[in-house]
Order: sequence, then structure tokens, then C-alpha cells
Amino acid sequence: MIENSSDVVVIGGGVAGLSTAMQLARRGVSVTVLEREQIGNGSTGRAAGLLGQLRGTAEHTRMLMDGVKIVQELEEQAGTEIYVQTGSVRVAETAEREKEIADLVEMGRSIDFDIAPMATDELAKRMPYMRTDDVAAACWCPTDGHLQPAELAAAYHKVGRDHGVRYETSCPVTGVLLDGSKARGVETPRGEFYAPILVNAAGPWSHLVAGLTGTTLPTAALGHVYLTTQPDPDHPVDRLSPGFRNRHHRIYGRAENGGLLVGIYAEECAEYDMETLPPDFDMSAMKARRDDFHLAMLIHAAQQRFPWINERTPMHVTTGIMTFSPDGLPFCGQLPDHEGLFYCSGFSGHGIVQSPVIGVIMSELILGNRSTYDIASIEADRYWGVPGFQERDEIEQRCHKMQGSYYGRLEGKSADSKTDTA
Amino acid sequence: MKILVPCKRVPDPDQKLRLNAEATDVDSTALTYILNPFDAIAVEEALCIRETTHPDAEIIAVSVAPAEGEDDLRTALAMGADRALLVEHDAQLDSWNVARLLAAVVEREQPALVIMGKQAVDDDANQTGQFLAVQLGWSQATFASQVEFTETGLRVHRETDLGIEIIHVSLPAVVTADLRLNEPRYASLPSILKAKKKPTEYTTAEELGVKPEPRVRLLSMELVHSQRNCEMVTSARELILKLRETEVIKG
Repeated sequence: MIENSSDVVVIGGGVAGLSTAMQLARRGVSVTVLEREQIGNGSTGRAAGLLGQLRGTAEHTRMLMDGVKIVQELEEQAGTEIYVQTGSVRVAETAEREKEIADLVEMGRSIDFDIAPMATDELAKRMPYMRTDDVAAACWCPTDGHLQPAELAAAYHKVGRDHGVRYETSCPVTGVLLDGSKARGVETPRGEFYAPILVNAAGPWSHLVAGLTGTTLPTAALGHVYLTTQPDPDHPVDRLSPGFRNRHHRIYGRAENGGLLVGIYAEECAEYDMETLPPDFDMSAMKARRDDFHLAMLIHAAQQRFPWINERTPMHVTTGIMTFSPDGLPFCGQLPDHEGLFYCSGFSGHGIVQSPVIGVIMSELILGNRSTYDIASIEADRYWGVPGFQERDEIEQRCHKMQGSYYGRLEGKSADSKTDTA
Repeated sequence: MKILVPCKRVPDPDQKLRLNAEATDVDSTALTYILNPFDAIAVEEALCIRETTHPDAEIIAVSVAPAEGEDDLRTALAMGADRALLVEHDAQLDSWNVARLLAAVVEREQPALVIMGKQAVDDDANQTGQFLAVQLGWSQATFASQVEFTETGLRVHRETDLGIEIIHVSLPAVVTADLRLNEPRYASLPSILKAKKKPTEYTTAEELGVKPEPRVRLLSMELVHSQRNCEMVTSARELILKLRETEVIKG
């Protein structure tokens, strides 16, 4: 065997690439993962990992429910706790959001997903640190929770390695080698790596990696921010307190280290031009300015539901970059222009919780099988050649708009049934 | 009472730094700048003074920087400073000359108190506050970890290597902020919006009647090389194999 040659090269050592590599290796495929920085150092290392299994379609819900099973197996194999089952609540304060919750309960029940309305006094009992006097309706999903991103990445890494995956860190991909229109390998500062199948799981960089073969991938790199309060004896947050979503204020969160984690999908967010960032840009070193506008919006929104949080609350602020697609769903599979070039990107803030099943789907696609899931909604070619999704500025605009409407729009029966829920 | 808070614009120390081609300074392309974290503590302390003992205090943020320094003054304004003054200056200045410019600003503004960071995180000089106090002939309380007003001045806790030193200084005074003085706030949404309307005044060394005469010149810079290349290992066995591979241990 030629040195640096394997069946598959995965570009990107975040959860998407790591899960794909692990699943392929389990199926006897030789895999090399190339990571520009360190394993799990990009969006993976900045993620909150909230798991809300109830999605806009039954199939997406099934994918996430199966993902939990995969994670539970991983926990045994890696000997670590990844899934923290806390249950989750959604709260509504307006009539339209109340209707949304009623619709979700109905939809969840129709596909046997464990969901029930929750009375306000019960809500107040479970989350005494939350304002509930203005809550009109709430629902409770006992099987939800969150995945611990670092532990998940480490488990993929460990189990993958046990199955022979090779990981190269500090190894950015600078070129793609083609044989006609067929993938042959990649160039890196550490030499060439050969494989007939390449997986672009480069997160916010994936459209740049796609650009190496002149391919348009409609993803955009958007900023995201969440805060984690330091433990406050006046507002203790039990480790197993429910995760929450409050779409009216556009916030989500969960317990973290005795404090409360709160993030926002605001109407506006920062945009990043990955091309102009330094080649050795390190996402884990990102931090918010004291006068960061998006952080201020987050603090303001968090304060509406948790009045004890303000700009002087001792807190840790996490900023990072998410890879958004125009419809909030990932791109999985090949595009028509090259053979052997697979995409696995655009998770729009849900990469952690989608990654377990995405690894399975990617390995099925790569091994030439039909997926056991209905993947029409996440197929990589759904915007191929579609006018309005080809130029960088229009792609960025659409992705930005998607981010803004993520929590802004209404769900349920009255909503557009094709779009997914958060 | 007026409180003057000198604010320095510094490269964010958490990013990876490179040198320019001549190795005379850090490469400023794609560099992110922030308000010197110790100066943010100084701003916070001034805000606390206004919120507790001196509601009439006027807080003025001042910076000696190129035009872009306005961004970091904006941070101070968004946190709650009342107005800002930018002494526009493109060239590198040593601490003595920065102190001369600040002294000229003090002459003009007549504050009772100057609070600033004990040092800037870029050059770590830890000089400007001391120089400024000397040039003004004012009291100085450096490395402050607690500041209290008394009838006749300030009672200041100073963090020294030997322990906390408690001193009393008369006003006017220069106080330099240490890390534990407070936890600076983030700017609130209303405060950011309000800051857009707050005035920033621009001046120059010339207008202040100061001709910078450098005493210290930066000759060259070198990066400290740490060959650190972290890799996660998940078992002791793997660690030993790695150590053998890199010949840290043999056999």
C-alpha cells in the first residue's frame, strides 16, 4: 500500500467528520481524518449540545431518537458520560406560541414521541430560577437533554482509533487531487494523502474546501454566542434541570456546572469571511468584546426569562462560528460535478446532536448503499444549479435569513410544513 | 468630580501573533484589537464610584491611539463612560511620552482622580500610571485591589508580593487597577445604543502642546517559540507509545 493512502480521507476533525470516520471504520473501511487544528477544536468545541428530538418531520425525529441509541452504545465503548437526560421544556407567552406548543404536542404524540403539556406551577417547581408568571403554556419532553460535545468528540475519536482510523492534526487541506472528475486525494503542508473518496466535513471552512474543486457549496459561516452564568447561591441550577426553549425571546439553554447556559438565535448575527481569517485561526480563542452587540442582545433576551441575569452577572461568554445552510438542514452526499467527493456540512447549529446518525447515513452513502433513512431533505444536491443559491453573497444572505428566522417563525400546523424546527 | 480613565487599544492577546517582515513589531494584518483588560477594570471601577459614592461623577475615557482607537473608546462609552477623548497618534510611543500626553489632558480636564490599568497586556510595561503621577506631582496608588473614598482622600488596598498593603492617599491621585479590583461588566443593549450618541472628541499631541520625544525605541521583536503540539491520548499505553515515538523515553 502506498504511504498516506486509505479508502477514505475525511477533511475535518469535528463531530461530523469523526462520526463518519468511526462508522466507516466499524464497517472495515480504512480512514484518515485530516484536521487543520486539533480534534474537536472548531464549532464542536464551542457547542452547547442541546438535544431536542421533536422536529418538524417524523423522519428527523426518528434520526435524533436513533442518535441517542448510538450515543448510549458509545458511552459503553468509551466509558464516558455523553448524554445527559434532563428532559426539556418549551415555554410560550403569546397566543400564537401557545398554539404552536399545542400543535407540537399533537404532532409528537402522533409519532409516539414522549411529550405532554406542563402546568405553570410544575414548571416553576422544576425551574425555580426561571420567571413563569407570564408563561401561557409549556410542554415537557422527558427524553430530551443534551450531549456533552467534548465527551462525544473524544468517544468518536477513541472508538474510531480502536477500529484503525488514522488522525492527522495540524494538517490543513490546501488542495484536492483529481483524476479527471474523480477524487484522488488531497494536498496538505505535510504531503499528499490519497483516497478515492473524500469527505468534506470542514464545518465553516467547507465552502472553501469545495471551492478547491470549483464547486459551490451553499453554506455560510455565522457567529453565535451563548453565556454561562457562574454558580449563584441565590439561583442554584441543578445539574439535571430541564433544557429549555423560549422561541418568543429566541433563547435556549440548560444547566451547566451549577450555572445556567443561555444562547440566542437572534434576528441578526455576525458573519465571518473564512477566507480573510488568518490561516492559523483558532476558534477556541474567540471572545466577545465587552460591547459586543450580539452579546448585549442575548443578555437582554435572557433577562426577560431570567430576571436575575444582567450585564454585571458573573458569566463566561462563548462565541463561535456555526455553518448555516439556506434551509437549516445539512448537506450529506455527493454533488454531480465530481465522483468520490462527499459533503457532510451545514448543520446550522445542530451538528452535535445530528452527528451520531449522520455518521451512519454518510457511511451508508459512501459504501454505495441506500440509506436506511429518508434523506431527501438533507441531500447535498438539493440546491445544485438552483438560481439564487450560486453566488457567495446570495448564499450568505439566504443563510443569514435562515438564522434569523430560526426562532422567529412559527411552527406547527399553520407553519410551512417543509421547514424543520429548532 | 471628574474621573479620567486612560484606555489603551491592544491586540487581543488570545489570538496567534505573527511578526511583520522586518521583525520590528507584530504583524497587524487581520489582528483583532480590544480595550486593554486592566483598563476595562479601571472603567468598571469608575462606574462603581459613580453608582455608589459619587453620583455626580463625570467619567471621561481617553486614549492615545491611531484613529481606529475610537472603537475601544466606544467600548468604554458603552460600558457607561460619559464622554471620550482620542489623542490621535499613529506612531509607537513609549510610556513616558504617553504619560506626557495624558498629563496634558489632565491639565485640560482637571479631574480629581485618574484610574487606569496597572499595565497594558501588549508591552506589559507597567510604567504609564507611575510616570503620570510623577509628572503631575500627584499621589499614586498602584496595583489597587480595593478603592474606598474617605473624608480626605482614598483608602486603597495594594496587591504586593508580600501581601495586601493598605495605604491612604490624598487627592488628586493616580490609581492603577490590578486584576482583582472588580469584574468588569458587559455593555447592556440600552447602554450600547446610548453610547452611539455620546460625544468623542479628537485632539492631537500638537494641540495639547506636547512634542513627543521618544526615550525608548523598539529595536526588534522575537516570538517566543513553544514547540507545543498537543494531542489527546486516551490511555496510558498510548501515552507511552507516543513518548517512545518522540524519543522522550527509550526502550
